[in-house]
Amino acid sequence: MLRWFLFLISICLGIAAALYLGWVVLPSQNVQVSPATLRIDYKTDYVLMVSEAYSADNNLELAVERLSLLSDQPPTAVINEAVLFAAKNRYSQTDMTLMQGLSDDLLAPDVAGEAAQP
Amino acid sequence: MTDDRGPWYLLTGLIIGFLLGFIYAWRIDRVEFVDTRPDMLSEAHRDQYRSLIASAYAATGNLVRAEARLALLGDEDPGGALAIQAQEAVVEGRPLEEARALGLLAVAFSQGNAVISSPPQASPTDTAPPPTGTPTTEPSQTASPSETPVLRTQSPTITPLPSRTPTPTAGAPFVVQQEPELVCNPASKNPMIIVEVFDASDQPVPGVEIIVLWEGGEEHFFTGLKPELGLGYADFGMGPGVEYAVRAGGGGELVSGISTAECEDDSGERYWGSWLVQYVQP
Repeated sequence: MLRWFLFLISICLGIAAALYLGWVVLPSQNVQVSPATLRIDYKTDYVLMVSEAYSADNNLELAVERLSLLSDQPPTAVINEAVLFAAKNRYSQTDMTLMQGLSDDLLAPDVAGEAAQP
Repeated sequence: MTDDRGPWYLLTGLIIGFLLGFIYAWRIDRVEFVDTRPDMLSEAHRDQYRSLIASAYAATGNLVRAEARLALLGDEDPGGALAIQAQEAVVEGRPLEEARALGLLAVAFSQGNAVISSPPQASPTDTAPPPTGTPTTEPSQTASPSETPVLRTQSPTITPLPSRTPTPTAGAPFVVQQEPELVCNPASKNPMIIVEVFDASDQPVPGVEIIVLWEGGEEHFFTGLKPELGLGYADFGMGPGVEYAVRAGGGGELVSGISTAECEDDSGERYWGSWLVQYVQP
């Protein structure tokens, strides 16, 4: 009887060790995190950076490519989410305008059509 | 199980338990990261993030904001990381704008010099406190980020300072200051073309495109990608027996007929020298 008890204890120890490795040790050592997992404030700043870069280079295709790293959603949805967060947290009007400008350009039919082309 | 089997059943139990736990932790309920910080990004995504910071800096000239963003990546040497990535971008044939933006930010960062090209527009909301960055979603149970200082996305209200960073201007094309000079350095035995670019006030200029041409090929790179050697510095490794021509900037003066040449040290040993070409904007 004692042997069975010890056998079950050893199984439990094995499970605990594997869970600790799988949930704590290995993920922290081998992190493969993408921008899609960033917290909302960092995502918003990412969108702002894309908007700032776009304001200078006007490269809509590059902006879309960069935004695609944040989400599987359409880029306009990503920007809208960022704009909402920015408005809620009182970002400067300059920043809001930059993000809104990129969103507007993405929604423009002719430009959006060009950007969709590879 | 009998007593003469020994304690091996304990090891068997551990292995069985480990396998069960492994299957659960890696197949059934894997760790998913949510609400992460930029410093947790994978290496490739960190490079993309850094490149985006540089592009945003190139667009706005806002070094304060770029520095705050770089800090989020947690690099030990942000300036060095930028310079290395700029060189890799050139080597990998990535867009020249990307390499240039990275190089410019590396130089600006190494100088610690705020270059603000467009001061924020004053408005009542501009002076409002920056976002607190409070997570709006619950962090992951297994990978919750620790509390960290959050990037201030508010436009800074500091007074713009005059830039100390010389930048290429749309002025006269660069001309060669003097005939190419052979530099003999026994410590550096790989033949190189060293280019140094200065503006009219004799200040080194980063971000100037250097074009090296040879029969069957050409290479583009920028000054300032090795800030430790000078803001206007750029170099290119030569191959023996090849004749090169160099140009700085769009319409800069072309220097041709550059090929490897040998130097001799005190003991009579021969080694490759490098050519120094200095450009200046008249």
